[in-house]
Parts: sequence; structure tokens; C-alpha cells
Amino acid sequence: MKRYAYYQSCINESMTREVDRSIELWQHDLGIEMVKLHESTCCGGSNLDYVSPKHFALVNARNIAAAEKMGLDLVVSCNTCLMTIRSAKKKLDESEELRSEVNEILKSEGLEYRGTSDVRHLLWVLIDDVGLDVISQKVKAPLARLRIAPFYGCHILRPSSVLGKDNPMEPTSLDLLLGALGGKTIPYDHKNRCCGFHTLLVAEEESLNVAAEALQEAMDEKADCIVTPCPLCHTVLDGYQAKALKRSGRRGSIPVYHLSEVVGLALGYTDRQLGIRRHIVT
Amino acid sequence: MSDSTIQHHEDSRDVTFRVHRFNPQVDSKPYFDDYTIRLEKGITVLRALNYIKEHVDASLTFRAFCQAGICGSCAMRINNMSKLACTTQVWDELEKSREPDIIKVEPLRNLPLIKDLVVEMDPLVDKMKSYSNWVDSKMSEENWGKKEFLVSEAEFLKYDKATDCILCASCVSECTILRANREYVSPAVLLKSYRMNVDSRDSIHEQRLAGLVKDHGVWDCTHCYRCQESCVKHIPIMDAIHGIREDAIAERGTKDTSGARHAEAFMEDIEKKGKLVEATLPIRTNGVVWTMKNLLPMAFKMVLKRRTPPPPPLVKSTKDIEKFRAEFKEMTGHVAKDHAKKPGE
Repeated sequence: MKRYAYYQSCINESMTREVDRSIELWQHDLGIEMVKLHESTCCGGSNLDYVSPKHFALVNARNIAAAEKMGLDLVVSCNTCLMTIRSAKKKLDESEELRSEVNEILKSEGLEYRGTSDVRHLLWVLIDDVGLDVISQKVKAPLARLRIAPFYGCHILRPSSVLGKDNPMEPTSLDLLLGALGGKTIPYDHKNRCCGFHTLLVAEEESLNVAAEALQEAMDEKADCIVTPCPLCHTVLDGYQAKALKRSGRRGSIPVYHLSEVVGLALGYTDRQLGIRRHIVT
Repeated sequence: MSDSTIQHHEDSRDVTFRVHRFNPQVDSKPYFDDYTIRLEKGITVLRALNYIKEHVDASLTFRAFCQAGICGSCAMRINNMSKLACTTQVWDELEKSREPDIIKVEPLRNLPLIKDLVVEMDPLVDKMKSYSNWVDSKMSEENWGKKEFLVSEAEFLKYDKATDCILCASCVSECTILRANREYVSPAVLLKSYRMNVDSRDSIHEQRLAGLVKDHGVWDCTHCYRCQESCVKHIPIMDAIHGIREDAIAERGTKDTSGARHAEAFMEDIEKKGKLVEATLPIRTNGVVWTMKNLLPMAFKMVLKRRTPPPPPLVKSTKDIEKFRAEFKEMTGHVAKDHAKKPGE
């Protein structure tokens, strides 16, 4: 059983609780264990870095240092948390001055940021550590009948200087995983585009236009569902779907699943067990 | 080795350019023309387009000038990505093509189309003007030509990368928010504004910043990083956008715009609980009236699905919150000292 320090994203503890619930269900089936990092704090959500760059560095040095203390990699299942914590790590790794400043403070809690733990997305762990072959062997209920529109979300791809796993404009990782689960993914422009989440409260009209365009393209391409590795993208594409499509005058709807849910479905768990019935669009 | 790999190693091959065509004087809507030509390895997309114009179809219209990645005129969308035709190798693009041997060529997005691959650049120039994107000198006119400014290397490094911008508008074409609303300031303009606002020779920093925080300004950026990823000069454009936001919060506080209030809420919550209190985020960002009007119908659906974020008292503080708070406070002390050391920054 390979163990990981699991970062608890704020949104997965409130609106999208089904993400962590589904991971807990199937983790052992795939030989992995996510050890929840109860002492972790909010990463700053791609906002704290410009409100106060130094607090941003401290908060995330502490999040990573807690994983380092356990000798485990930090695994994240929210794209923005991933990008945010990885960009803090990059800053810390590049500046000895910043590292020693935060470590001086973290000392009081017995923590030290050393840069020894990687910060990875759940999707990457499934592909690189568990392996597509192993996953496909474990599949009990292949997603064979589904035409899936994979929606990567921005912060698992860009900036590539911080993420660096996929080609930021032509990504393949999610397609590969969904393929291993027996699903058929469709090519469409929005797979690498934005959901509009980060401006929902600041420029709502623009955000809804962005979301509507993504939803409409998936629907035009006759996808049965959208799958995303990011709970923020899910919140827009599922929670705001009716509002976005109403604005654009488009009828109909399309279900949106979390990555962790389709893994669970393929491994034989039910939509009730996985929390899929909690979605707004069902 | 697969057939396609063998082909990619060939020195010469037939390549089809699927080019966007539109002449507003005769066409009711845009269409694509396919031009198949035999090309040698090492040729750029621009040279291929020049060949097509000279030997196949003289009516094909595009902009180009320096052919060396300096002037920025030949930016276009090649295989769904905005870039310079003159620095893009045909052989590299063939690796990325969705259909074998076909390279798709389209005009930049988010700017009005004039003809085929040519777009109108005036909206970008107009925005540069409306945000006063030039150095408005601090020096009085009578001293011009007599005195000089001394710019430290440390200051120059702040805008060194931003000055690499060649105004090709690739970032403008890829911008998510501009696509959703043409009024949006755009990444190229924000980059230039940042560059001017960190220049110590400039006298209109406050006025420019006041413009940038208005509607359709710096707070509307949705952090998708497409601008930065498409920048042909590899400029970290998001650092500039974040730089303006940092400056706006430092100079204007956190209460004057919804964007600043939204950002501040993260800081407050982390300091208090270590966790974000999502339930009150809309109210803290936009007030009660906006929240009732915009989010109430959705809130009902969320309650039915038990999807609502927990009310503030039920948001559990992170483990060891007292220790964390002490650390956070200590860093606040460091930040205050930094500000005292560098007045005005």
C-alpha cells in the first residue's frame, strides 16, 4: 500500500464533499492510501499570493513541510490548490533567503520546509504510480458506453513552468486515464480551456459566458457527460450550469462528474455510494 | 517505427494548409481553402504562406514583415494556437496536427476580422491609449535634454521582461475573458500598464492604477494563464497582472472593488481559521443585495442537494490553529518591517 499525505482542499470539505468520499471508497482497491493532513490550511486559492506574498510562502511551506515530516508526497485533488502550492514550492526552492525566513517561523511548530516532498495531483498519482495497466485490470464496470468530454481545467496545465506534466494546450493525461477506465473521450476545443470559476464573484457575466461556451461545445459534440479533475470546474459546470445555459439561450443539460467519481464507477461502486446524487445536474 | 514517424523524418513532403478565408466584399461567411504544396524540412509557416501567395493563390491575404520574430505582424492561429508564423516550423506543427499532414491556419481571435488572416489592431491600440501606457515624465519640461534619470539595475529588472513585448497580440487572441467580453482590458495592455507603473520616472502611477481597478480591468482576469502560455517572448504576463493587483491592494486598500474584497477574504479566513469560509464569500465580495439577487435561486437547489457550504460557526478550524495563528502573526511582523525598510513600496 503506497501512502500519500492528502491535502484537504477547502471546497472538498464544503461544497464538493463527494470528491474525498469517493477517493476513500476506492483508494485501497488501487493499492494507495491518502493520509489526511488535518493540520493543512487553505492554500490561498490563487489570491493570497498577491495580497501578501510572504504569508503565501509561509502558509504553503507549512502545508508542504507537514507532508515532509511524514516522509510522504503531498497529493491534491483540486487544480487550483495544486497550482498554488506548487508555485509556492517553486518560489521556496529558488530562494534560500525566503526558505530560511519561513523556516525560522515554522521552527516553533517543529516543522521545516526542505523541498523533499513533491506536490502532485491525484490524476498524476493514478497514472504514474498506480499505472494505467493496473487500473484497467481492476475495472469491473467499464465506462464503455459513454462519450466523455474531458475537461482538464487550467491549473493542472498552466503555467507549464509550474505544472509541467501535460502539454498545456494539447493535454492527454485525463484522456489516457478515462481510456483505461474503458471510456471513449472526444476531441473538442474546450478540453484545455477555462471554466470561469475564479471570476464568478467578480465578473459573473463573463464567467457565465465562459462556462456556457464550454458546456455548449460538449453538448454540440454529443458528449454524454463531462469529466473534470477539478472541484472548482465542477462547481461552475454543474452548479452554475442552468444559469449559464439560460443566459446563452441553450436548452438541455449535461452531467458533470469528478475524476474520483468515474474511477469509482468503473471500479463498481454505485452513484449513491460515490455521492453523485449530490450534484445539481443528475 | 510507425509510418507517421518515418514521414516526419523525411526531408521533403506534401503538406496541406487549411487556411481561413473571408473577403467581406464578396463572402457572406468565412470558409477554409486547402492548399497542398511540396515543402522542404526547415521551412517556416510564413515561408509556406508566402509560397502559396506567390505561386498558388495571389488573393490570400496575411500580414508579415520582419520574418525574424521581432515585429510581431505575422501572429495568427496555427493548429489552434496563437503564435508567429515566421518562427513556427512546419515540421514541428505537423507533429501537433489533429489530422495527418494538415496544418490549420486561422486569424487571431478577439479582434475584428478584416480579411482572411488579417485582424484589426485598433481596439488594442485604443486600450493602450485609454490606460495611458507610456511614461509620463516626472521631470519638468524645462529640464528635458539637460538632466537625466538614474535607473537602478534592481528597478530595471522589475520591467525588463515586460519590455520584451512586441505587441503581436497572441495573448489577446488567447484570452478567456476577452473572448467573453471585448470590453476587457486584455493581457497585453495589463502587461504594458504594469511596466509603466513600476517605472520610477513615471508621474501618473496613481491615475493609471485608478483606471486599472475599474470595471473590465485588472480584477476581471480569471487566472487561466493562457496569455502567458501563448506569449511568443515567454513573458510571465500573470506576474505582471498579479503585480498590479498587489500594488492596488497596497496603494488603495482592500475595500474599493469587489476583486480586492474577494482577495482580502482569503487572507482574513486563513488568519482566523486556516480555512476558507465559503458561505459568506459572496456577501463579503459583493454585499447582501447582490448575493440575494444573484445566488438565492441557486442556493435553494444547493440546500436540496445538501451542497451548501457550512455556515461560519460550523467551519472547523485547522488542527493546531493556535500555533498557526502565532506563525501567521509573526510573518505579519516581518512584512511590516519590510515596508518600513522600503518606504513607498
